[in-house]
Amino acid sequence: MKKYFLTIIALATLWSCQTDERYENLNKDPKNPSEVKADFLFTSAIVSLNDQMATPNVNDNIFRFLAQYFTTTTYLDEPNYDVNQRGITDRHWSELYRDVIFDLQDAKSIVEADSEITDAEKSARIGQLEVLEVYAWSVLVDTFGDIPYTEAVNATEFPLPKYDDAATIYSDLVTRIGAASTDLEAGQGFTGADVLYSGDMDAWNKFAHSLQLRLGMRLSDVNPSLSKSTAEAAIAGGVFTSNADNAQLQYQSNPPNTNPLWEDLVQSGRADYLPAATIVDVMNNLNDPRRATYFFNETVDSYIGGVYGGSNNYGSYTHVGEAFLDPTLPGILLDYAEVEFNLSEAAKLGYSGAGDASAHYNAAVTASIEYWGGTASQAATYLTQPSVSYDGTNNQFATQFWLAMYNNPLEGWSVWRKYDAPALVLPEDTGNPIPLRYTYPVNEQNLNQAQYEAASSAIGGDKQTTPIFWDIK
Amino acid sequence: MKTKFSGFLTLILAFVVQITFAQQQSVTGTVADEDGLPLPGVNIIIKGTSTGVQSDFDGNYAIQANQGDVLVFSFIGLKKAEYPVGASAVINVTLESDAAQLSEVVVTALGIQREKKSLGYATQEVDGSEVSDVPTTNFMNSLSGKVAGVNIKASGTMGGSANVIIRGSASLTGNNQALFVVDGTPISNANSNTSDQKTGRGGFDFGNAAADINPNNIASINVLKGAAATALYGSRASNGVVIITTKRGSKGKGIGVSVSSTLMISDADKETLPKYQKEYGAGYGPYYQSDDGYFNLFDVNGDGIKDETTPFTEDASFGAKFDPNRLVYQWNSIYPQLDTYQQATPWVAAKHTANDLWQTGYTSINAVALDGGSETGSFRLSGNNTMQKGNLPNSEIKRNSLTFSGSQDLTEKLTAAANVTFTKTDGKGRYGTGYSSGNPMQQNRQWSQTNVDLYEQRDAYFATGENITWNPNGPDNLSPIYSDNIYFSRYENFETDTRNRYFGNFSLDYELNSIFSLAGRFSFDTYDELQEERINVGSSDVAKYSRFNNRVAEYNYDLILSFNKDITDDLNLDGNIGANLRRNSQNSLYMTTNGGLNKPGFYSLSNSAGPIVTTSFPDPDTEYDATSMIDGVYARAGLGYLSTYYLEGTIRRDRSSTLPIANNTFWYPSISSSIILSNLIDATWLNFTKLRANYAEVGSDTTPYNVFNTYAVTAPFAGAGVASNNSQLNNRNLKPERSKSYEFGIESDFFNKRIGFDVSYYRTKTEDQITPVPVSTATGFATKYLNAGVVENKGFEVLLRLNPIKLTDFNWNMTVNWAQNESQVLELLPGIDNLELASLQGGISINASPGQPYGSIRGTDYVYDSSGNRIVKSNGYYETTSTSNNIIGNVQPDWTGGVQNTLQYKNLSLGFLIDVQKGGDIFSLDTWYGFATGIYDQSVGLNDLGNPKRNTIANGGGVVLPGVTEDGTPNTVRARTDYYANPYGYARDANKGHIYDASFVKLREASLTYDFSEKTIGALPINNASIALVGRNLWIIHKNLPYSDPEAGLSSGNVQGYQSGAYPAIREIGASVKINF
Repeated sequence: MKKYFLTIIALATLWSCQTDERYENLNKDPKNPSEVKADFLFTSAIVSLNDQMATPNVNDNIFRFLAQYFTTTTYLDEPNYDVNQRGITDRHWSELYRDVIFDLQDAKSIVEADSEITDAEKSARIGQLEVLEVYAWSVLVDTFGDIPYTEAVNATEFPLPKYDDAATIYSDLVTRIGAASTDLEAGQGFTGADVLYSGDMDAWNKFAHSLQLRLGMRLSDVNPSLSKSTAEAAIAGGVFTSNADNAQLQYQSNPPNTNPLWEDLVQSGRADYLPAATIVDVMNNLNDPRRATYFFNETVDSYIGGVYGGSNNYGSYTHVGEAFLDPTLPGILLDYAEVEFNLSEAAKLGYSGAGDASAHYNAAVTASIEYWGGTASQAATYLTQPSVSYDGTNNQFATQFWLAMYNNPLEGWSVWRKYDAPALVLPEDTGNPIPLRYTYPVNEQNLNQAQYEAASSAIGGDKQTTPIFWDIK
Repeated sequence: MKTKFSGFLTLILAFVVQITFAQQQSVTGTVADEDGLPLPGVNIIIKGTSTGVQSDFDGNYAIQANQGDVLVFSFIGLKKAEYPVGASAVINVTLESDAAQLSEVVVTALGIQREKKSLGYATQEVDGSEVSDVPTTNFMNSLSGKVAGVNIKASGTMGGSANVIIRGSASLTGNNQALFVVDGTPISNANSNTSDQKTGRGGFDFGNAAADINPNNIASINVLKGAAATALYGSRASNGVVIITTKRGSKGKGIGVSVSSTLMISDADKETLPKYQKEYGAGYGPYYQSDDGYFNLFDVNGDGIKDETTPFTEDASFGAKFDPNRLVYQWNSIYPQLDTYQQATPWVAAKHTANDLWQTGYTSINAVALDGGSETGSFRLSGNNTMQKGNLPNSEIKRNSLTFSGSQDLTEKLTAAANVTFTKTDGKGRYGTGYSSGNPMQQNRQWSQTNVDLYEQRDAYFATGENITWNPNGPDNLSPIYSDNIYFSRYENFETDTRNRYFGNFSLDYELNSIFSLAGRFSFDTYDELQEERINVGSSDVAKYSRFNNRVAEYNYDLILSFNKDITDDLNLDGNIGANLRRNSQNSLYMTTNGGLNKPGFYSLSNSAGPIVTTSFPDPDTEYDATSMIDGVYARAGLGYLSTYYLEGTIRRDRSSTLPIANNTFWYPSISSSIILSNLIDATWLNFTKLRANYAEVGSDTTPYNVFNTYAVTAPFAGAGVASNNSQLNNRNLKPERSKSYEFGIESDFFNKRIGFDVSYYRTKTEDQITPVPVSTATGFATKYLNAGVVENKGFEVLLRLNPIKLTDFNWNMTVNWAQNESQVLELLPGIDNLELASLQGGISINASPGQPYGSIRGTDYVYDSSGNRIVKSNGYYETTSTSNNIIGNVQPDWTGGVQNTLQYKNLSLGFLIDVQKGGDIFSLDTWYGFATGIYDQSVGLNDLGNPKRNTIANGGGVVLPGVTEDGTPNTVRARTDYYANPYGYARDANKGHIYDASFVKLREASLTYDFSEKTIGALPINNASIALVGRNLWIIHKNLPYSDPEAGLSSGNVQGYQSGAYPAIREIGASVKINF
């Protein structure tokens, strides 16, 4: 009897004796790598960032509605600023944290550990990664206000990251973008993986300074001294000097690498979006030459924008311009026109090195018209109109800035928030107020509740009408 | 296949006829029990032959036999009796009850056969006929309402999956489905549906794999509910086990043939379809180009004058009031391909609404089985053909299966056995699910125009073969904007799938001596499937062709030493020691065209408009390749004393490759005991009483690849490689999950078994749940794999057997099942307040949160004053919360139950099953959107003033919502109900308004069967035969969910309580014939 027991126990033990290594290897995914080069992550972050900034998809962001460039035909929740129904702020938040900032930070640590490149190359690469990271952080602050920053992107140590003060984050970003320029000058950065500038380090440096200028000018109302020093450092370092310098991603003709605008305007086969009357009316009044590019009179005889936030019959209105239906349309992170507008404002405020406000304004308007296929003479004619010709008023400046940001809609919304012009309208259907910020993601309420509540009270309530710290006027 | 069978059948028939007509004398008689009551259905066989008959309803029998033959009388629960045939032509027989036989033998974990009375845990047996008498294409659906504590929910689509949950959901996010074991072979019950499908975003429900089991082959089903019952199976069985024993041949019986055939006709239950309003047509409100704002203007007929046209793009019915005198250029006037081109038609409600899409379907199930045996072996070979035509156009499922089982005594002590099943399933045109264009219910329940006649759409498609939709961009752009012509979609954008499956086992049993026996078994379950999806050029979606090749395999190697010894006369010891090696693997490839198709109607990857992109980004991965292994050793020992006291213990150790090395080995024990109280009490009215109790712990591992972090490599951008961190943070310190449970039960039979019950109470606590916990994405991850929480399930199960009437000719049996399960999340890791199981369209989520029952529905709610009245804003609409994390419902039912009745009068029997669910909530995305598009009858009618609700406020329309204003006074402001932003739909309502009670009472099954007695068919070479009229889902006696079936859902899995484009209940009526030769 005993021998049967012993035999079976021996057999069973023998049978189930596999090495630890064999067990562990089975749990290593052969189809998903555990290590990649920093290049892959860098490219991925650039594309993810551009996609998020460019997409008009009502599941991802509502920038084009916030700036009232677009409105919709039938489904009115998003142009009426309902961001919860589709979890829009959740997606914006997670795209930037997870698919941009985390990948950039991971790429940094891979670069730092890379023994095959020189220290100079490391610095340059880290500089490139840093510029994009600062960009992404500033987008988060500009949309939400206070956000997790010091404890963010560290799931092991801080599973419930606390929120930091937005102004403090901005100051740190100003410091970081300054340091990034120095890094960029150290040597050759990413080249093949650099789908923005193909490794042109001078271009990166201009991008860094142009971003520095943007951050500086954003602070002009709330922190004039930091604004001044930041903008002046940017100008001294060298900003964009032509549209050729633009930080923009050249999209490709085939999915999934097309401009996201194409996916929703063309590929979807739907007719959801119309240029809003808000912008169309302004451009009609100014007889703006960019209308031919921005808009498309497919079914109507003159430029008629859809009623903002109201029900619109697609065939009764002007449609989005044909240029925007091209899958390869570049996505804009920061362009020359914006730089010139910022320089104009810096000049107006008397920042040293900024030059002449009027000249920069003219250059900005011209850059925008030329970028969208207009000629220098069209721009000149346009600028001679009394309503366009530089008069130093806030309304004129902001209106032109806003018109130029048609394809960089977060910036368009920021212009409106900062300069409180041009006049936008309340959405027709609900009359909801135009948001000054995104409310925090619903997921944060559910998953990071204590920190969410602290942040909410710190900013004066998690409401769309709570202004971002730099929006004090 | 069919022709081969019928040829074979003819041969067999000829053979049988030959045997039967050999020269013999007739023997007749009556069989009765000890009380003298006649016994119907007693098997009477001539010993050593296959010749046999059954006694009829009056206990009479007649058989042809030779003098010297021995007749063997056998009946379950009674002692076998043998009578030699002498000169007398009459043999009357009394069969005595058999104590040993009474202690029914059931199959428990690992195929170990046990006396049912000795078990210390609850099991419930279901006879094979319960799932084959009223057959379905997915036999699991036939278990609904028949087993206490087993909750089955069919998804409602043709061939769709069935969610089988035993004693509640124990796992927060993992698999909660029961394990299926067929003749010792664990069978995969996975579904290969995408997570998009499971969360209502579209895709097809390909069903779950256990549907491959042929119900006609099932001899019995034993449901092991608690951990003590399943502990020997190891970690995988923590959700309960459904043990299926198939029919087999018996030794020494000769050749038998049985044939059965069923034809069921099916139709959609109208009570579960929308009721459309018939007063107003297309539009979202009065803002189009015509004077009244309801129509667009376009010169359709080319006369230079602009005509009134339907607002084609508007998928809603808040448009102009119908008026037969108003001629409008509708969709059929703008397609040059149609005869109706440039013709205006009266503005009237559709004669054929979208509900006319539902056509009559049928299911035919034909089975043939051949069995037989010699003195040393037996076999059974069966074939089954199932053909289902769905209730939507162009839909069908075919399934053919072949099963062989055989065993042979090689020597006195050594037996070899094999069971092998091959099943081939081919599906075509399965119903698209969720919020997608592939689901016609999306437009039919949510977004449509009540002026569109479905049959005209149908005729337009068949006349042109093109996507002539009611919903084009406009008269000058005929491409579809949102919705396709449903017929185009059904006939052009259909899926096909095929699955070839092989499962079975080979085993050797060796009886070492009178005490020990040794068994070795290799079992396998493998399938290959191919799922192809198509979207043709011209559809509203981007054209595509995709294919998913999936290969799944499981291999088990078992070695079991068993022993059984009477230590003394009163004390018995039995037990097993064994080892099990398990290997699971899945290897799949998903490929899809990119950016459209070049050649319309040509479905091949080579036809991709853009270069094909592969990606390792989840769901579906382009490629997935995983193997896992678990090695286990176990032991079981049972003690029986005086056949009254029983004690049993098990222990098992598993080692799993899915866990980190340091934590990959885990032990778990179980102990159970029972006392047969009735042996201690001498009362004639008490037939049997058993008390039982058990405690068990079960460990559980996880799925592959949750330990090490990886990157997702995606399509390159302009030649640059792209990779991103996965959004799941894996965990190198995972440890096994553990569930601890105890259970008490009592079962009893009284008054000659006229009354019996079986009651269980159980409590299961699952700790260290391995769960991908959603975390703040500010951490860089969306989920983190953790041992995260504790879930408790507790509940009662009651099984009541009644035999209220028992007369000579009439018998009424009743079985009542009732179960209540409370599933509660006790705790999550510190800092985690809530675990989101799914975030769903409409802004709601399904959650597990501490202190809450599993499956709470969160979303927006109304705002209430202190006395609970809804607050109405100054504009007459309800104020709704700005937050979406309010608990507005829970998916768990309060209780479920079933009442099965069998009424037997002579040879005629009537059976019917009433299936009940009380409570449980469901969120309807269908009314959420549909109430905003004005398609339902709810959107019309009169208001409190007696005016049509749909009048403008100025014209006395609108409604006064019950509630109070901010200052507490009753609301008197009228809210507009003449356009999409009315108070009832998604535009203005709270999610709470679309939470419905999912309770139901259903007449689930009914059958009327006639058994032909020996007398009737005595002249034919037939042992027995029956014909039956059968029906399923015959009548929804009660429900609270309007326009829909409360059972309809998305798929099997953890996301329940949500309807998006729900399918109607399908009522089936048919007939079946069974003949045994």
